[in-house]
Amino acid sequence: MTGVIFDVKEMAVHDGPGIRTTVFFKGCPLSCVWCHNPEGLSTAPELAFKASKCKNCGLCKMPCEHDECKKFGRCVHICPEDCLEIIGKTCTSEALSRELIKSGEVLGENFGGFTFSGGEPLMQGGFLIETLKKLKGYHLCIETSGYADKEVFREVISLCDYVIMDLKIIDEDEHIKYTGVSNKKILENFEILKNSGKEFLIRTPLIPNITDGKANVDKIKALTKGLKSEFLEYNPFAESKYKMLGKEYPYKKIVF
Amino acid sequence: MNRQFYDFIITKQHHKYRHTVKWTLDEEYSKRNLSPIERMQDRFTKLCQEETPVIFENEQICFIRTVENLPNIFTESEWEDIKSKHYIHELGFMSNLSPNYYKAIASGLLALRDGADEYGKSAIDNVIKLSDKYLEEAKRQNRQDLVEVLTRVPRYSARNFREALQFFRILHYALWLEGNYHNTIGRFDVYMYPYLKADLEKGVYTYQTALELLEDFFLSFNKDSDLYVGIQQGDNGQSMMLGGVDENGNDTFNTLSMLCIDASKNNKLIDPKINLRVNKNVPIERYRKATELTKVGLGFPQYSNDDVVIPALIKLGYDKKDAANYTVAACWEFIIPFVGGDVANISALSLPKAVNNAFNNKLLECDTYEQFFEEVKKEINIEAENICDGIKDLWFVPSPFMNVLMDCDIYNGGKYNHFGIHGTGIATATDSLAAIKKYVFDEKSISKERYLAAVNSNFKSEPQLLHKLRYDTPKLGNNDDYVDTIATELLDVFAASLKGKTNCRGGKFRAGTGSAMYYLWHANEIGASPDGRLLGEAFGTNYSISLFAKVKGPVSVIASMTKQHFSNAINGGPLTLEFHQSVFSDEDGTNKVGVLVKSFIDRGGHQLQLNTVNLEKMLDAQLHPENHRNLVVRIWGWSAYFIELDKEYQDHVISRQAYKI
Repeated sequence: MTGVIFDVKEMAVHDGPGIRTTVFFKGCPLSCVWCHNPEGLSTAPELAFKASKCKNCGLCKMPCEHDECKKFGRCVHICPEDCLEIIGKTCTSEALSRELIKSGEVLGENFGGFTFSGGEPLMQGGFLIETLKKLKGYHLCIETSGYADKEVFREVISLCDYVIMDLKIIDEDEHIKYTGVSNKKILENFEILKNSGKEFLIRTPLIPNITDGKANVDKIKALTKGLKSEFLEYNPFAESKYKMLGKEYPYKKIVF
Repeated sequence: MNRQFYDFIITKQHHKYRHTVKWTLDEEYSKRNLSPIERMQDRFTKLCQEETPVIFENEQICFIRTVENLPNIFTESEWEDIKSKHYIHELGFMSNLSPNYYKAIASGLLALRDGADEYGKSAIDNVIKLSDKYLEEAKRQNRQDLVEVLTRVPRYSARNFREALQFFRILHYALWLEGNYHNTIGRFDVYMYPYLKADLEKGVYTYQTALELLEDFFLSFNKDSDLYVGIQQGDNGQSMMLGGVDENGNDTFNTLSMLCIDASKNNKLIDPKINLRVNKNVPIERYRKATELTKVGLGFPQYSNDDVVIPALIKLGYDKKDAANYTVAACWEFIIPFVGGDVANISALSLPKAVNNAFNNKLLECDTYEQFFEEVKKEINIEAENICDGIKDLWFVPSPFMNVLMDCDIYNGGKYNHFGIHGTGIATATDSLAAIKKYVFDEKSISKERYLAAVNSNFKSEPQLLHKLRYDTPKLGNNDDYVDTIATELLDVFAASLKGKTNCRGGKFRAGTGSAMYYLWHANEIGASPDGRLLGEAFGTNYSISLFAKVKGPVSVIASMTKQHFSNAINGGPLTLEFHQSVFSDEDGTNKVGVLVKSFIDRGGHQLQLNTVNLEKMLDAQLHPENHRNLVVRIWGWSAYFIELDKEYQDHVISRQAYKI
């Protein structure tokens, strides 16, 4: 089975215990206005352009013969500064797991494990499950919004050793307003997770004027009482990623 | 440490006590036809007389330089004459040695005087006279503590930790004043520990009060260091080694080692340069402790792996006892304290130049990659031959006080006489070979003629090929055997090219993985290279990946860079990894870096240097240097204040790849 990923990162520090390698799945059913991984939102390949390095040589605008370049009207194989990159590649679970295992071999007993993040890894449930099965024996972790069908959620967490799940907004209308979807599925899966016997961590990004209100924070604290949970500070550098993708940062457009 | 005094020193207010001597010596010496050693004796005498004692109110460890300049001892024409008759290494004075401070501290200079030659005696007398001036000044200021210390040392042996530290300061100060440079500190936690231990047992200090004294002592390395300039400000060789094992393999890491890590962490100053010897049995807690220092951003500690270094030194012919006692020279070259006269940085061989020569002159004749690699090998052998043959009649200006502090006949080279040759640009050479192998011989997708024309035109008419070579071709650092084995072969060939050669002092040549400043110098000697490196672009420093290699992360980098046979190439030169400051934002991140270091050591890496960098800060510092006076960066074997560096060094640091979270 094949899936779409946009990055593999070694030694991701905040993605679970130990030195881990994190795979970022491309595509997410949510569209949080503050999303700090906008390249993970769409499943389609996207062109990223690092404007700060561009010297305006114009080479990328010359016609080229590469199929993958056609839809962007730019050649991504010519920039002397490597400013252009197609984000998102399709790979098989076989090739992905083979590549990942190499970093496990390098570190041996010092290796922490693998983390699957995104985007939303559960959105490619079949591919994720197949990959997890191939990596059996390693410490496996997912970072998820919790937005998925119960069956997929159950099976995936049964294959993982550790689950990092977000609880962003508890009020359903607010959730819809800022993430584009209802939180019903998320709260149901939260119950499943609590009763799964798996080790987990609940995360809440503290987004100014959206998730950090007292009412929301109190509700989350009440829901996670006695559970392992943390609040994450807002990442102010997200905006530059939107620029790279030629997109507008929705969070910035909201007037509170 | 007293904060006010710390600020006083780092804002350079003590510089106002300095003066430049106007008198000259060379013409007079020449007229009197004095021998070099007589000149060294006379200049040292005069400089010790010229020095004025200055003791600051809150200072526990005294001695500062008040004379800025060391007048020449040879006239220009005499020096030219010497250079025409001898091989003169760098400045010609003794450097990169690890003197036996301990024997002086443990027995006193008067005791050493008995065994010294007439010049040694004279040097000792001068040091004692200068110390007596400090003693008088201490009396005048009614500094009872210093009066007590200076009444005892350096004449007699130190009785406690404070006296031992002051004694060291006097010795180290005198070595610089005599004209020696890159005067290393050696295994400080080994030879100083008995004094600390006794004082801790007596209850003279707690960990905290000992730390405060040590911080004051560490500050002393920064008082005169701007007068010790190497290639750039900061390149001064004040390297301190911590940890390691004794000759029986017992762990020597102790309370003083911990204190030194903490003192460096608290002082946040670029001297002394902290090195840590480790091995596979070192517990993870020690790496964690050391990583707290890495987090500060000084580029310390630099790690050396005893499991790799000691057997390799023994294989080179060092006695087991001496090998187990190794330390580092100014940067990372492995040297032997007390008895070693090795010149660990005598020259460097450019690996990319060998590849470029073979590429330009022989590629068209080669039908297979193996044939081509043979040509590279020939180039390396020819270059090694030229370098080794070019070093004849090595001569150093004799330094009587340095001679007193060494346990060997250092004028004639000491017990060990090996010469270290750096191997520069391993990543550029490896990546070039990998590209040639893949495209010319395996895939046959780029014709030799096209490739040659592209490289020699600096890729002017071949932007797509340039992009492919730079960003879409296997590179060293990705745990890819296709490339990594080429690095292994190159290092083996380089080591073999020096094997069996005897140098002019009867020693061997040691191959190394360092680059020193040659990562810029050698890069400027050649044009573009077949890996897509453009004309004028630098190599990576030391044993590092190429500046534009795209890698998956630090795990793959350490995998690639621990596959080689360091037992054949043990002159020293670390793999450097740069981490963005944000990696250390919490304890968990810091711990993970510690685990990564342990993994590197467990895999048999030889030497590792970690930098904490903040690209945003560096870019801002180029625009607003006044706001970043204390921003420290690591250059090749030493750390420096970013704003004091020439722009080409600044730009190189900025262009290195940093791993983020």
